[in-house]
Amino acid sequence: MTIAKDRIGALIFLALSIGYGLSIPLIPVYPGDEYEIFTAKTLPTALAIIGSILSLALLYAARGAKKSALPELDWAIAIKLIALMVSYGVILEPLGFLIATTIFLLCGYWLLGERRKWLLFSCSLPLVLCFWYGLTQLLDIYLAPGLVMQWIGGL
Amino acid sequence: MWEGIYIGVTTAVMPFNLLMMFVGCFAGTFIGMLPGLGPVSAVALMIPVTYGLDPSSGIILMAGVYYGAVFGASTSSILINAPGCASTVVTAFDGYPMAQQGKAGKALALAAYSSFTGGTIGAIFLVLFAPMLAKVSLSFQSSDYFALMVLGLTAVAAFAGKGNILKALMMCILGLMLSTVGTDRSNGVERFTYGSIEFIDGLSFLLLAMATFALAEVIMSVMDKSTNAQQKKTNDASSLGSMKLTKSEIKEVAPTVLRSSVLGFIVGVLPGAGATIASFLAYGVERNISSKEDKEKFGKGSLKGLAAPESANNAASTGSFVPMLTLGIPGSGTTAVMLGALIAYGIQPGPRLFIDHPDVFWSVIVSMYLGNIVLLILNLPLIPYIAKLLEIPRSILIPLILFFSLTGVYLVSFNAFDIQVMVIICICAIGLKLLDFPLAPMLLGFILGGMLEDNLRRALLINDDSMSFMWERPLTAIIMSLAMLALFGQPLLNFIRGKLSQRKTQDVFDAE
Repeated sequence: MTIAKDRIGALIFLALSIGYGLSIPLIPVYPGDEYEIFTAKTLPTALAIIGSILSLALLYAARGAKKSALPELDWAIAIKLIALMVSYGVILEPLGFLIATTIFLLCGYWLLGERRKWLLFSCSLPLVLCFWYGLTQLLDIYLAPGLVMQWIGGL
Repeated sequence: MWEGIYIGVTTAVMPFNLLMMFVGCFAGTFIGMLPGLGPVSAVALMIPVTYGLDPSSGIILMAGVYYGAVFGASTSSILINAPGCASTVVTAFDGYPMAQQGKAGKALALAAYSSFTGGTIGAIFLVLFAPMLAKVSLSFQSSDYFALMVLGLTAVAAFAGKGNILKALMMCILGLMLSTVGTDRSNGVERFTYGSIEFIDGLSFLLLAMATFALAEVIMSVMDKSTNAQQKKTNDASSLGSMKLTKSEIKEVAPTVLRSSVLGFIVGVLPGAGATIASFLAYGVERNISSKEDKEKFGKGSLKGLAAPESANNAASTGSFVPMLTLGIPGSGTTAVMLGALIAYGIQPGPRLFIDHPDVFWSVIVSMYLGNIVLLILNLPLIPYIAKLLEIPRSILIPLILFFSLTGVYLVSFNAFDIQVMVIICICAIGLKLLDFPLAPMLLGFILGGMLEDNLRRALLINDDSMSFMWERPLTAIIMSLAMLALFGQPLLNFIRGKLSQRKTQDVFDAE
């Protein structure tokens, strides 16, 4: 697959700069600020203008650039790992640190092709338990047990 | 100065700080050896660990990790021809051929001795010049600081490489844009929060650093099929051969190491230049001044070709601490991360650092030297064993690194929302990397954004809302001129060269 990297980058950055600039009116100002030379809007305004100018400059500089090939990448594994991280963020508070992290590590090893059961389990729960013990007992950091643990405790 | 060194030594040799130095060097060597993870990622991964420590111990740990990672990156360059970071790319030019000739042990030893000498010379210069520069910079005003930050940002962009200046500048602007998210420090109004309470405090530096330099780098290395193949090569690197250097070999490389160390330090001090340029420059200089016979050996396992970049990149790493400690302007991506960590501790790097926090200032300088000694006496003999750690399957290592990155951020805020923001930033960072946008200038812009705005606001207030300080105050004018020179110097030179060659062609044509 070949793409014009600079042109795409310039267009994305131009859209970002315009979007950023369009959001500037949302910044509230105090009465009397209109007489000040430097307000909360000054730097963002300058950045939006400079950003747009730089994007246009890159777009101009890239007018004759040849399309370049993207390196051969394993997109599937990246998408799987990103989905795993998002899921970890979702389950961390309901399931609690111990369960959520064990699941995260197990799934991570599995996704990357590890199938040896002894390695899968020895590198997940014992490791998480050690980490949890170090944080909560040695460093005295409070980790919420999670809704599931609370529910089990309440039974 | 001696009093300062005494404070530094007493702080650095405290048992806990010594332990931090050992741990830092060891962890840094290990992380640096992993292809795809360089010193910036290694230092970023350590930030959450250092939050529970006092500033001196934290920064000593990070300095150790920095040195260790540069050393580790050299090791993987020599053993498996897979540079862990850009500054050790040149190391592989002659280091890997030496390993192929069965002299891996000798190459590693030479890299370690050269790094040690580079680091030592760099540390001596740092002791001499950092306090001097800090004293001079005490007379700086807000306008000078504003100009210095502009210089820092433009210099980083100017050194970004041919054709990448615009992209690096755009990334600086993106970093500055991100720094405006949250509550404005001066008048307390919310900017770009879009009503979300999660963004009222702005984006966390740690979150941004971890997402761009730890998560994105790891995901990229997993995606890259060639990196996956490199692990198989580590198994072949288990036999290293002798680590001894002969007297004649030491005599041959000694002048090279000295020259490259001085050159490396000077390049490292320049904001934005960093260890990569230093190593390439030292290699080029050494190759050019060598005899014809020696010149032919370059690229085929030359001792000088290995010693030059190794001493230069270590001296430059030390040199990059000078602008960070004295002016509060980071000289490289790694020092930008460390600067952010210092700010997170509530310590403002800059000329007042060595007055307000002499223990931090001097312990960093002293720990750099001690860190070099640790690398030499501890890491070098341990290299065969550390190399064995690389045999841990990537299927185990990668999820663990992801876990430490995510948990590192979560344990600071205890907000699972931060994990989602991290993932989004990681996806953006991967996209930017694929489009060849450098990420270090973005982090630099993010770190300097708040300070740049505050100093500009103050400078305008002092000067009755006039921008005339830019040309009326001599120091500000000089720094701004340097910034413009850094930015437009190279394009202007190229333009003049083009015009001259055009005229020459025209003259030849007219003569005919």
